[in-house]
Amino acid sequence: MEFLENYLYYIASFGLIFIGLYIMLVKKNLIKIIIGLSIIDTGVNILLISIGYLKEGTVPIFSRDNLLPSRMVDPVPQALVLTAIVIGVAILALALTLTIVLYRHYGTLNVGKIRNLKW
Amino acid sequence: MVNPVLLIVIPLAGAFAIPLFGFISKHISKYIPLIATLGMAVIVGSLIPKVINRPIIVVIGGFKPPFGINLFVSPFSLFFAGIISLLGFLVSVYAIKYVNEGDIDKYHLLFLLFITGATGIALTGDLFNLFVFFEILCISSYALVAYNRDRDGVEAGIKYLIQGSVGASFILIGIAFLYGRCGSLNMADIASQIRHVDSPLLSLTLFLFITGFGVEAAIFPLNGWLPDAHGSAPSTISAVLSGFAIEIGLYSVLRIVFTVLGDTDILHFLAGLGVLTLLIGEISAFKQNDIKRLLAYSSTGQIGLILFAFSLGTTEGIAGGLFHILSHALSKGLLFLAAGYMIYKAGSREIGKMKGLATEMPVTSFCFLVGAFSLVGLPPFIGFPGKFLIIKSALSTNQGYFFVLVGAVLLGTVIEVSYFFKLLQSIFSKTKENKIDEAPLTALIPIVVLAVIVLAVGVYPEVVSGFLHLASADFLDRMGYITNILGAL
Repeated sequence: MEFLENYLYYIASFGLIFIGLYIMLVKKNLIKIIIGLSIIDTGVNILLISIGYLKEGTVPIFSRDNLLPSRMVDPVPQALVLTAIVIGVAILALALTLTIVLYRHYGTLNVGKIRNLKW
Repeated sequence: MVNPVLLIVIPLAGAFAIPLFGFISKHISKYIPLIATLGMAVIVGSLIPKVINRPIIVVIGGFKPPFGINLFVSPFSLFFAGIISLLGFLVSVYAIKYVNEGDIDKYHLLFLLFITGATGIALTGDLFNLFVFFEILCISSYALVAYNRDRDGVEAGIKYLIQGSVGASFILIGIAFLYGRCGSLNMADIASQIRHVDSPLLSLTLFLFITGFGVEAAIFPLNGWLPDAHGSAPSTISAVLSGFAIEIGLYSVLRIVFTVLGDTDILHFLAGLGVLTLLIGEISAFKQNDIKRLLAYSSTGQIGLILFAFSLGTTEGIAGGLFHILSHALSKGLLFLAAGYMIYKAGSREIGKMKGLATEMPVTSFCFLVGAFSLVGLPPFIGFPGKFLIIKSALSTNQGYFFVLVGAVLLGTVIEVSYFFKLLQSIFSKTKENKIDEAPLTALIPIVVLAVIVLAVGVYPEVVSGFLHLASADFLDRMGYITNILGAL
């Protein structure tokens, strides 16, 4: 039980990453593949946050009284996640845009059938 | 002194200026990349003499390393910045007439963002900053590949996007592991603490980084996107993608392996992977009928050779690798740019349809010949000293393993010769009498300039080889990298 308590976030994040990878490898629908991509992104973001997380930690504001530096949550991973989320949104938007154009050309979203380029 | 941060600021500011100038006139946008890349080239030129004495460290925002982001401008990173600005300038001259469909503003905006990302990767000294610039490079190249919005382009773009994004996620996981262990994102700081990290985690991180950056670098099992993307993109974009984007991907792999993780045990594995990439690229190129896919597969082969050269781990081998990066950037840029108008005139990308093109476009075809000979490694073109240096330093390692790999490299070169001669035979065959119908002047100038550089540096390799040896010594000097940055405290 203690193990689960300590590593819950890591288990969750790697669970999400592997679910996402599984979806991307198995599914044929392009929209589902992009959803898989998004799930991987979420998993990575949780991993980053949990690396800097402290149980019952406080905000890292030094000007406030009664806050010990040893009890503060590391702010750097949170800043990284903020950037990573923005990048993720950009990729998602571009991927969906390309999917729309692709659908207009091929009339299908099945990646097995979109095979103009092969060797 | 010129601040090296301008190398990143100029293209970024240019990219944001394009939509603003678009309000005034639609015709300004195509000249902005020209001015921005020319400015970058001038700055690189003025920095070279200073960097030779000692590397420049730029602290951004007043936070000293290891806390803030810093740029590390050394001969090695400036070499990449130089290639980016030179090729970027020539390609934007070419693009003035060549890019005339679709939203021209957006093309030039994305092109400048692409340059920003590539330069940023070469200069930054911060791991997360590297990731951000990498994403700028990748996202703009996904969009540029699909720029024409035709069947092939969009399909190639989405393939590239999916593979590239999974790779980027892997990089981010690797960064999370390193940050969790070392509590720092500064590459020099991580490098100084890396021996305290337990080895299973280190191997996992190494695997994540090689897989992640390897997608962009087109190392063998991860290069499925490359022939589609390079083949379907507009020719200007193929030229820069082949010219420096994959090399920048390789730069990131090597920076992580050599400098940050300092893991030299993996070099034998990387050398094998490089030669495998080379052979598979050349064999696949051999059976192509599409000129751009042929050139794209040949890029895969060349990147394998460069990886092999770096994996030798000696100063001379890495200098050879750098020489080959230079020669590949110039020759492949030349080939793709020449192919752009050859496809336009022939009306098809098939090699069979290009028969007798030499009588129609003598200058372009002759420059194409120069590029092809250079890539194959014939003297007196620029490809020869690079390949010669790589093979010489591989033989001087005196290891049986590398001897076998050199044999494979030579085999790859033979295959390369055969498919380039097949291509040239088709272009130079005399089937019909055509009147001369050359590419426009804005396209001819960059092509001829590239051909002249290819020939000139091939005849006088001493012009660059001194600087390249310096750059390779700088790259191998891991302790110097750490003390230079952390000593700036």
